[in-house]
Amino acid sequence: MNMIPNLGINFLGIELKNPVLTASGTFGYGYEAEDLIPLKKLGGIITKTITLHPRFGNPQPRIVEVESGLLNTIGLQNIGVMSFIDEPLDRLSKIGVPIIVSIAGNTEKEYREIAKILNMQNNSIISAVELNLSCPNLRKKPICHNLSLMQNIIKGVKKILKIPIIAKLSPLVADIPRLALAAQNVGANAVTLTNTYPAVAINVKNFTPKLSTINGGMSGSCIKPMSIYHVYNAYQRIKIPIVGCGGIMTGEDAIEFMLAGASVVSVGSASLVSPKNLIKIINEIEFILKCKSIKSIKEVIGIVNSKILK
Amino acid sequence: MNKKFDKNYKIISNVKVHGNYFELKIKAPITVKHCHPGQFFMLSIPNVFLRRPISIHNIKKNTIIFLYKVIGDGTRNLSKIKSGKIQLLGPLGNSYYDLNFVPSSQKINNKSCNFSPIIIAGGTGIVSLYFLAINLNTRGTIYYGVYSEKDLLCLEKFKKIGWKIIISTEDGSQGYKGYITDILHKDLRNDNTLFVCGPASMLKKVSQIAKEKNINGFASLEEKMACGIGNCQGCVVKVKGQNKRVCRDGTIFRIEDIDL
Repeated sequence: MNMIPNLGINFLGIELKNPVLTASGTFGYGYEAEDLIPLKKLGGIITKTITLHPRFGNPQPRIVEVESGLLNTIGLQNIGVMSFIDEPLDRLSKIGVPIIVSIAGNTEKEYREIAKILNMQNNSIISAVELNLSCPNLRKKPICHNLSLMQNIIKGVKKILKIPIIAKLSPLVADIPRLALAAQNVGANAVTLTNTYPAVAINVKNFTPKLSTINGGMSGSCIKPMSIYHVYNAYQRIKIPIVGCGGIMTGEDAIEFMLAGASVVSVGSASLVSPKNLIKIINEIEFILKCKSIKSIKEVIGIVNSKILK
Repeated sequence: MNKKFDKNYKIISNVKVHGNYFELKIKAPITVKHCHPGQFFMLSIPNVFLRRPISIHNIKKNTIIFLYKVIGDGTRNLSKIKSGKIQLLGPLGNSYYDLNFVPSSQKINNKSCNFSPIIIAGGTGIVSLYFLAINLNTRGTIYYGVYSEKDLLCLEKFKKIGWKIIISTEDGSQGYKGYITDILHKDLRNDNTLFVCGPASMLKKVSQIAKEKNINGFASLEEKMACGIGNCQGCVVKVKGQNKRVCRDGTIFRIEDIDL
């Protein structure tokens, strides 16, 4: 029990102190919680999604709580890539943890334009880029529903950026492993499984939808088993690492994702409830490893999956 | 930036005031020093996913007092907690002082300025405005609109600090029958300063009146929010054509700036 387990992990060539990242869209530009938690303790920060031009986002109401989770329709509100590199990126560079920038566009060209702008920055600030290919708010359908469009975007961005790229996929597809494989085949270095689940909530008091856009994205502990399902099944088919995402509230939840095959995790709704949950999750992971006398977090990745395959 | 805390506090009491209204008292010796009128806390409540934003009603010595109405699952579950500890994040949001429009108490005592505050409260909007009123060190008038007389709160408290109270009820059970904004118009002068908190329809009307009469005014806004610290962008409103987060850029804005 005196052993201190090693939580460090090499993810896509990036040395992370631990496998806990912030999930895009739930941690602002990355520093808003700096007066509440020590940000340098995080494994890494994934920023909110940045688009080519500023976006106002969707009308109110944007948030509604459901049983064990919430629906949101923020609509990718952000200041646009030019303002992002002006201020937030500079502040992020001072935190001392790997920074992964999430980006999205309406078209393949927009993704490439953003990548070009990011590429002109000091390379050491941005460790990787996460392609948000699954936001339900930008287009009528998430980009990853169109396989060739998704592949062209990955290929296009890949040509521009020298840093690793992560494809964030929607859970609303018939075959996630096939989609993840398609991303891998055109050069994605990792996949994030998954984005929020499309969902609707209706107010029975006044017979109106609870969100302005009617459709929203569901997150929180209610989606966890479904996201682990996607991680578990994709792990068997792909070689690139998986960022597990969906309803992680505790260290136990994070380990569950890793046992199913995730190399690292990204935590979203739990940090909305309290940013302190991010630190709590890291501490709980360490405690669980200690209790199980596991020396390194790397040992747990996919072991449930491999056992069953054998 | 104001200092904020995310920690457990001891519950002193959590009792029904009347009807669906409850008063929660929290022992918070260090935190109270950082609480200002207009600010709120996010309260962790059992069996709901997100924390709930509730504004500060009063500070007495080491105690933070919240006055809230049971509306949904969150406030219902909160009303059932009788003792023990509760996790609070805050104080959050800006305060009336941050907007630099409340003359300092010294000035008021020296009578070196003409500060004539008018509070306009709709429903539970009165709760946070009381904390402002007791910190103003000057008397004013409160226009207070509710649905029915059973929704009236804090009347004795406002009387005690010498405020003139004008009431409206939608069902006519006390005071003027109708909306408070119906009777507001004729009494306002352009040397008044308005402090407003209430439903959007009321804010809109007050904003129109303030613009027409060229009166200085400040409104505290409410929106559904997930995080309370500006991360989720869930509570965004339009202020001077820009997106502003109610939780972090507000909750208080100049009334003429709000695009309602």
